Amino acid sequence: MTTAQSVHLTEEAMNDVLIGLSLPESDAHLAACPVCSGQLEEFRSQMQLFNQTTLAWSEARPGVNLRTGSSRKVYQGIFAPAVWALAATVLLAVGLPIWNHFHRSYRNYAVVLPAAPGDNATQIAEDNDLLRSVNAALNDNEVSPLSEYHLADGPHPRRKARLEVRTQ
Amino acid sequence: MAAYTAVPTHMGVIYGRRLESSLAGRVTPISELDDIDALVRTYRARIVRFIAYSTGDPDLAGTIAQDTLLRAYNGRENFRGECSVSTWLTGIAIHVLRDHQRTEKYKFWKRVKSSAIDVHEMASFIPADGSSPEGQLLAKEKVKHLARILETLSHNQRTVFLMKFSEEMPLTDISEVLGMSITTVKTHLHRALKAVRSQLGAKI
Repeated sequence: MTTAQSVHLTEEAMNDVLIGLSLPESDAHLAACPVCSGQLEEFRSQMQLFNQTTLAWSEARPGVNLRTGSSRKVYQGIFAPAVWALAATVLLAVGLPIWNHFHRSYRNYAVVLPAAPGDNATQIAEDNDLLRSVNAALNDNEVSPLSEYHLADGPHPRRKARLEVRTQ
Repeated sequence: MAAYTAVPTHMGVIYGRRLESSLAGRVTPISELDDIDALVRTYRARIVRFIAYSTGDPDLAGTIAQDTLLRAYNGRENFRGECSVSTWLTGIAIHVLRDHQRTEKYKFWKRVKSSAIDVHEMASFIPADGSSPEGQLLAKEKVKHLARILETLSHNQRTVFLMKFSEEMPLTDISEVLGMSITTVKTHLHRALKAVRSQLGAKI
């Protein structure tokens, strides 16, 4: 729309044209007014220059290869259940024999140990008596090295002198 | 035969299209989305540009573009072509960005590190159109000036402005992608245009 004072488009009308909401009157004016159409053209060319430059700048920015990521995602999406199933199978195939082995061993020990012969109170008492007699026999015959060399009979001759030196 | 079903995607309002081959009787996706290399080649730079100039963070833009393209490729079955691929990807990018900005990791790194766009570096990518060195210099200054003006806009104004004038999206698509009413989009655009045009020189 033109103002009363000017024959040119108002700022709002110009913005409407730029946004793409131009009125037929504005289009008619632009077709006949080189000043207004020149202003529009100048803005558009400046935006075009900005867009070309920034696009070239963006293209020069380093990127990463998305093919790896996308294929990984597809792989995960399609084969994930199969992979998990395979992992579970392997775990069971390895884990079950191991668990079974240990479980059976413990069970065998539990069965065998109470069935061992000779573990009654009489036998234990006899064993203890035997051990005591062996111990007594060894104690009687054994001579202490301290007694053998008369080391434990009296104080060391130089011990008193050493104590005196330390107290000084 | 084209079958349109209103199955909402994670974007809520953006619908895709699946083309079916009537002869074979089986679903045959006919889409550029099936080739991830082509997808990256065609759209990565646009997404990086949009996110970088929308957020002002070029490092974040690379991450968001990567996630966007990967998500689009993995969810390409949901695209039924009621909008362009570019618009669909921009919508996904907006959602990925919002998800990313909600994370604690993003908040932490935003506090400790801020990477900004180097406008001097960006201006060095100005296309060589055979103009004189003075013309090139003038063009560089214009681009840098516009980039700095965009930084002064609010986030919503800048996003809407870039969607309209860089991504060339229709107002209806901008409205759907951002979850704003058309009136709100127009208001943001008017304010952004007013600020940009006034700072570029009242009458461009």
